[in-house]
Amino acid sequence: MSAALAPPRLARRLGDAAGGLLVLLALVGAWAWASAAGWVSPIFLPSPQATWEALRHGLAEGDLAAASAATVERMIYGWVLASALGVAIGTLIGISPALRAWIQPTLEFIRPLPASAVMPVAIALLGLSPGMVLAVIAFGAIWPVLLSTVHGFASIDPRLHEVARVLGLSRRAFVAKIGLPHTLPDVITGMRLSLTIALVLAIVGEMLASQTGLGSAILMAARSFRAPELYAGVVLLGIIGLLSNVLLALAERMVRIHR
Amino acid sequence: MSRGYLSRLRGLALPVAALLAAELAMLATGAQSDAFARPSEILRAMWAAALDGSLAAASAQTLGNALLGLAMGGGIGLACGLWFGAVPRVGRLSALTVNLLRPLPSVALVPIAMLAFGFGYRMESAVVAFTCIWPMLMFAQDGVARIEPRLLEVAQVLGLRGLRRAWKIVLPAALPRIFVGLRLSLGIALTIAVTTEIVANPMGLGYGLSMAQQSLNPALMLALVIWIGVLGWAVNAGLLRLQERLFGRRGARP
Amino acid sequence: MTAALREASLDPSVAVRPAAQPLIRLDGVALDLGGRRIINGLDLALGRGEFVCVVGPSGCGKTTLLRLLSGLVRPTSGRILRDDRNVDGPAQDVAIVFQDYGRALLPWRTVAGNVSLALEAARVPRAERSARIAPLLAQVGLAAHAAKYPAELSGGMQQRLQIARCLAQRPAVLLMDEPFGALDAMTRQSLQDDLLALVRQHGTTVLFITHDLEEAIYLGDRVIALRANPGSQRSSLAQDIVIELPHPRDQLATREHPEFLRLRRFLFDFIQEPRP
Repeated sequence: MSAALAPPRLARRLGDAAGGLLVLLALVGAWAWASAAGWVSPIFLPSPQATWEALRHGLAEGDLAAASAATVERMIYGWVLASALGVAIGTLIGISPALRAWIQPTLEFIRPLPASAVMPVAIALLGLSPGMVLAVIAFGAIWPVLLSTVHGFASIDPRLHEVARVLGLSRRAFVAKIGLPHTLPDVITGMRLSLTIALVLAIVGEMLASQTGLGSAILMAARSFRAPELYAGVVLLGIIGLLSNVLLALAERMVRIHR
Repeated sequence: MSRGYLSRLRGLALPVAALLAAELAMLATGAQSDAFARPSEILRAMWAAALDGSLAAASAQTLGNALLGLAMGGGIGLACGLWFGAVPRVGRLSALTVNLLRPLPSVALVPIAMLAFGFGYRMESAVVAFTCIWPMLMFAQDGVARIEPRLLEVAQVLGLRGLRRAWKIVLPAALPRIFVGLRLSLGIALTIAVTTEIVANPMGLGYGLSMAQQSLNPALMLALVIWIGVLGWAVNAGLLRLQERLFGRRGARP
Repeated sequence: MTAALREASLDPSVAVRPAAQPLIRLDGVALDLGGRRIINGLDLALGRGEFVCVVGPSGCGKTTLLRLLSGLVRPTSGRILRDDRNVDGPAQDVAIVFQDYGRALLPWRTVAGNVSLALEAARVPRAERSARIAPLLAQVGLAAHAAKYPAELSGGMQQRLQIARCLAQRPAVLLMDEPFGALDAMTRQSLQDDLLALVRQHGTTVLFITHDLEEAIYLGDRVIALRANPGSQRSSLAQDIVIELPHPRDQLATREHPEFLRLRRFLFDFIQEPRP
């Protein structure tokens, strides 16, 4: 009965996975062919082999490992800071309908502002320093977490508020026992977006402020026309983006399982 | 009616109060800064830039690059998304590749674009294009996947297949969702355009912003920051209005 | 509904007699879905121009039968023949009126545009289309609403629009899945009579699913009752009754006819019977 259903579905899953892999390999093959055939100049499209070689060499003997670590570190610090502040401020605004009414329109206006536009202001304020980059990352990455926290608190069923009043829960207890647990899935979703923004801003910050990291590494590689190293750095950034996304998506799914 | 008016006024209360406070505080202390300027100075700088045409020129450049990139990348994303949605098998096979390419931060492509195109509109719109492929792809694919199954059966019963079915049934039914994707992609396009200009490309609003900061002109710098925000907000609000006009009345769900 | 149409249906010479050679035949049809046998051992013949109503408890396969006849679904075993040819997909002249009419209409097209869809699918040249749409809308009483969108119409009007679109296919076979179920009693009665007049005029064969026994007797030349969970031994077909009531039907007179009352009692008792 159910065993009879299992093989077709499993077979299809495996077939899809294999097929997906084939598509990917075909694309890489097309890349190799394009660069070998000389359609695109090797100055801006190195072969996959050259990229792989630069990647291997850069990680083993060169600076790529250190640069990756620096970028990831910067991204995580900024992200953690942004998340903590976002939840804290979001909670303060979220539990008070009055505050929400006054502040929300302003928040909605700031939201679409590109975070990178704030970078020059931060440079003017704090100069070209690691602190500046961190501040910008935090400022840019705070919005998804802040807004989803506010939204989460705003969406608490009024019935739960009444329950809390009847039980005599203090404001703090309400937040800890009802508010935050209810808001957690929204917060995690917000944090996932924040991490993406944090990575982008870390790269931009490194490029502008010449801080150690993959951002400045690839910019320098471009300026010196060293395409394989440039592409190696881009691949690493892609991997960082992919891994952080996957890990957080997993966390999000685990949190939402209990809903 | 007065209810809406009042809540609108209340929303403005905070920013207006903050601006007034900043103006008075800076006047009182006579502070000078490379990073801050009085709101009145900011306004004056914005007005000056508007008058001498530099604001319009820079805006046109940024918007132009954003739209060009959106048209190219969004077009590819739309076509692929419709295809993946209409033929689920293809969608499943390409999922791996899409999920590997999508998380790549588009800023990382700026040096590659620099290498390939130098500076100018081609480089910027290329970066915007790559970035806009993915949201359009996802929304188009989702739009097709969400089509009312009954409508597809009607198509089957009427004998509509392939391209005819795609044009008469699939595309119109998915259009509301595609439009939402378009609206969001435009916001992303603007953001990436500005970012590219700040980082590398010497044209547009981002470049003006960067230059204002480097020439220690906080009033103009902040004016441009505010202008970029206003532009993004206005574009989104405009498309939102359009969305409600197009899809609200007829009962097609966005 | 135009008076002219109603008058035409009163003409006794337009009486419908099921043809000797059946239009659609089901031979030992069975269907499994999700591991369950929904329909089993179904032998059925539908004559040209016959109005057949299908009743039965939920889960007995009424909708499935309709989908089998439309070609949207293939039987697990047995054959479905149309004019002695196997049915293996939707045909241009088989139309389906779905129960959830709101979901079967295109919300982005006007009333006229929705009807036009069927003509476009049949590749009717553009010049001819408007000439064919207008009388169709008139037949279902929507002529004055041609430029409105489905969202602006009432439930009854939306269902009539769907019927108009189906008629645009010039169907030989009309399959209807509880089409009037979601409508109020008055609209339902009006549409019942409109439908009868329409199909008599065009000589359409109709398979009409309903859970309303009285509606089934009122409308049909034949009423078929299906049983739920037939298993693998019994046929899904529990009853096949010929309705011998005079045409044209009348909402008051027919429903008081002694034969109507007898059939009604019979079917009610049959449905109430405890299933083994």
